[in-house]
Amino acid sequence: MADHNNVRSTHPTDVAERVDELIRGPQYAMPQAEKDAVLVSILRVLCRDVAGRCEPYGRFLERFGGDVDAWQSMSDVPPLPVPMFKRFLLSAVPPEKVVRQLLSSSTTGRQPSRIVIDKTTAFRQARALTSILKEHIGPRRRPYLVLDAPESVGDGENLTARGAAIRGVGNFADKTTFAMRSLPDGNLEPNWEGIESFFAEHQSGPVLLFGFTFIVWSRFVTEAERRGLRFGVSEAVLLHSGGWKKLTADAVSKEEFGRRTAAVLGCDERCILDFYGMVEQVGTVFVDCEAGNKHAPAFADVVIRRPLTLEQVDIGQAGIIEVVSTLPTSYPGQALITEDQGMLVGVDDCPCGRLGNYFRFTSRIEQTEIRGCGDTFAQSRELR
Amino acid sequence: MSILQITPEGSRPSGDTLAPLIESLNRRRSHMAEIPVDRLLALLDEFSGRLLRDERTRSLEGIMFLAAWLRRNNLQRLLELNLNGNPAYLDGFVSAGRDYLAAKPQGLVAMWMAGNVPTLPMYSLVPALLAKNVCLVKLAYPETGGMDRLLAVLADCRVEGLSGSELLEAIAVVWFDYHRTELNEQMSLAADAKIVWGGRSAIEAITALPRREHCTEIVFGPKYSIGVIGRERLEQDADPDGVVAAFVQDIAIFDQRACSAPQTIFVERNERYSLNEIGEMFARELAKLPAKPALDAYTTMQILSARAEWALDESRDVIASDDGANWTVCMDRDVVLKEAVQSRTIFLTEVESWWEIIPLLGPKVQTVGIALGRLETSQKFAEAATAACVARCVRPGIMNNYESPWDGKLLVGQLVRWVTLKP
Ligand SMILES: [Zn+2]
Repeated sequence: MADHNNVRSTHPTDVAERVDELIRGPQYAMPQAEKDAVLVSILRVLCRDVAGRCEPYGRFLERFGGDVDAWQSMSDVPPLPVPMFKRFLLSAVPPEKVVRQLLSSSTTGRQPSRIVIDKTTAFRQARALTSILKEHIGPRRRPYLVLDAPESVGDGENLTARGAAIRGVGNFADKTTFAMRSLPDGNLEPNWEGIESFFAEHQSGPVLLFGFTFIVWSRFVTEAERRGLRFGVSEAVLLHSGGWKKLTADAVSKEEFGRRTAAVLGCDERCILDFYGMVEQVGTVFVDCEAGNKHAPAFADVVIRRPLTLEQVDIGQAGIIEVVSTLPTSYPGQALITEDQGMLVGVDDCPCGRLGNYFRFTSRIEQTEIRGCGDTFAQSRELR
Repeated sequence: MSILQITPEGSRPSGDTLAPLIESLNRRRSHMAEIPVDRLLALLDEFSGRLLRDERTRSLEGIMFLAAWLRRNNLQRLLELNLNGNPAYLDGFVSAGRDYLAAKPQGLVAMWMAGNVPTLPMYSLVPALLAKNVCLVKLAYPETGGMDRLLAVLADCRVEGLSGSELLEAIAVVWFDYHRTELNEQMSLAADAKIVWGGRSAIEAITALPRREHCTEIVFGPKYSIGVIGRERLEQDADPDGVVAAFVQDIAIFDQRACSAPQTIFVERNERYSLNEIGEMFARELAKLPAKPALDAYTTMQILSARAEWALDESRDVIASDDGANWTVCMDRDVVLKEAVQSRTIFLTEVESWWEIIPLLGPKVQTVGIALGRLETSQKFAEAATAACVARCVRPGIMNNYESPWDGKLLVGQLVRWVTLKP
């Protein structure tokens, strides 16, 4: 353990090698205590390195990071709130090193998050996603049905969260089919003929599907049910991500989503896999296991923090989700506190056998009425 | 769970319609109208004393101030200010030469409370009762927040000719889900006067409800409050820490959720203290406060975001508690009203002169805590600020002290109908 803490990782180049090792995997084999030590030793170097190349983050780390060398656990690393990527362009590389900008799918009128990606980060993101998914769905390539429109992928330089996920999962495809058309008003329309012929063609073998949770539900599952469609693809695997908020509003539970989606496809419910991730940390995804828990891959982690004290919650308790990742080198995305709440279900003892922290997403953090009559207006932003 | 009624014994389910409660309040109107105002004042004075002695209420947040506010002298002065100098108008016709004038109750006053201040319902309930109205109060939360205990102590009060439990017959306190439009409508349509406290969305929803044509609608909030520390004060004062400590009191109370709590404090540039030194003074005072008992995830995120935003920006700076999201001092030179984060988060903004603040003021700014120096300067500031629709300019330390007028309104005066007799 002392080895992890002090000797091996003192230089960014050594650290880069160790991150690559972790990305190669295995993803869920390290006990949490060991993982803590490994990741903290990497983060000490990585955060300081990024701080040296990104002035604003340097100031942030100076204010809130304390003595970086004294970081002992993941919760000592000061997390940057995710909304900061909407307000600042936080780059740790010169413009000529930027190979891609990732943009959050913004709602109208809102400033999207902008994440700059250099070659190293892009490479790691792709490798990492593949390495994680391999452990859930196996390594082989298969026919890929994207429950979205081709337009959602975007071009190479400016990629949205949706596009990045569609591409990332695409690494497991031998042939890609898009199930939807984008209408002029921005809505999506399923191409049922295309969908039926895709399933007819690949009835017997394994197929891979991916879509955003809300789109899968509102445009695919419920419409297929209405049309009385059942596809009978027993070897289908559906990955989905993002957008539970709208489903919670429709009172659709994760269980109901899984059951009805599996019924439409004709596969086992355990082949409907939700993963948690965000555009600010592409490549770092927390995939559901067979027991319905989300696991952190080897090169990343999750910290569930109590409101107010910001201490890590105990097992069984809920708090604010922070995601930690060693992938980014081009921006300060190593420790990000999200606008989501989750529950720390356990450590090292999930029935599925995977080690490390495992958690469940519970809800977005919503404003409460408690703010009262003093809660007025965003004058500062409206005026400027 | 549909309607909960909050009583001295706690809360109990109360069916799915407000009709019986409204009916029994209406039956009580004539009885209420006949209670002499002096008896009401005596009973409330007794209530004031008991609140501080009774262990059910003496540790409620804001109870000291409420007790002082309920004292007979204070309420007497309040009535004089509200009622043309003479509370006797409440008891019947008072002659003015050949003519007569009286202040009659509006009737049923419906109140929608905000959840931010536990004792808040009392500040509209008492004026409504003094004006001899019957009151239907809707709390923001099913948790009573101490209201049941306040009612229980009131029920135990007794003075010559009036008991607390008798007065309670004129009050119904309820909770139901905010989204129950039909109940909100029922309440609104029963009202002769509506009092609404709350944030923007609550106020928009409640004022949009149908109401009777004669119904008076009185809205409190959403408001924003600020502070100003002047050059004169800083350059002459031997003890600027006292000013800072007083502002920190205003910040601490009700966890900065009241509309009268300062969110941004402007500091005039001066020869003695840099903005950073003032920031350090605030930090020292904030660090002395007892730890906050709890905080919701949303406000925690707002605090973390403000801290990060002020640290990432080169032209800004921030000092924060190292024990979680306890307190935060954000400093900059951006002359705007910062979005309220609340819960011990104060934005200090340096200005050359307080004149720069005046264009930011408007009807949404309620209270300005002023530490400006000479009386003449305070008067000059108050003239400019109130011309821009600010309601109160008060010294730091008393920003959250509820007083009449509030938000520019003399509440008791609006809860009566002025009637005339010219025989
Ligand atoms: Zn598991």
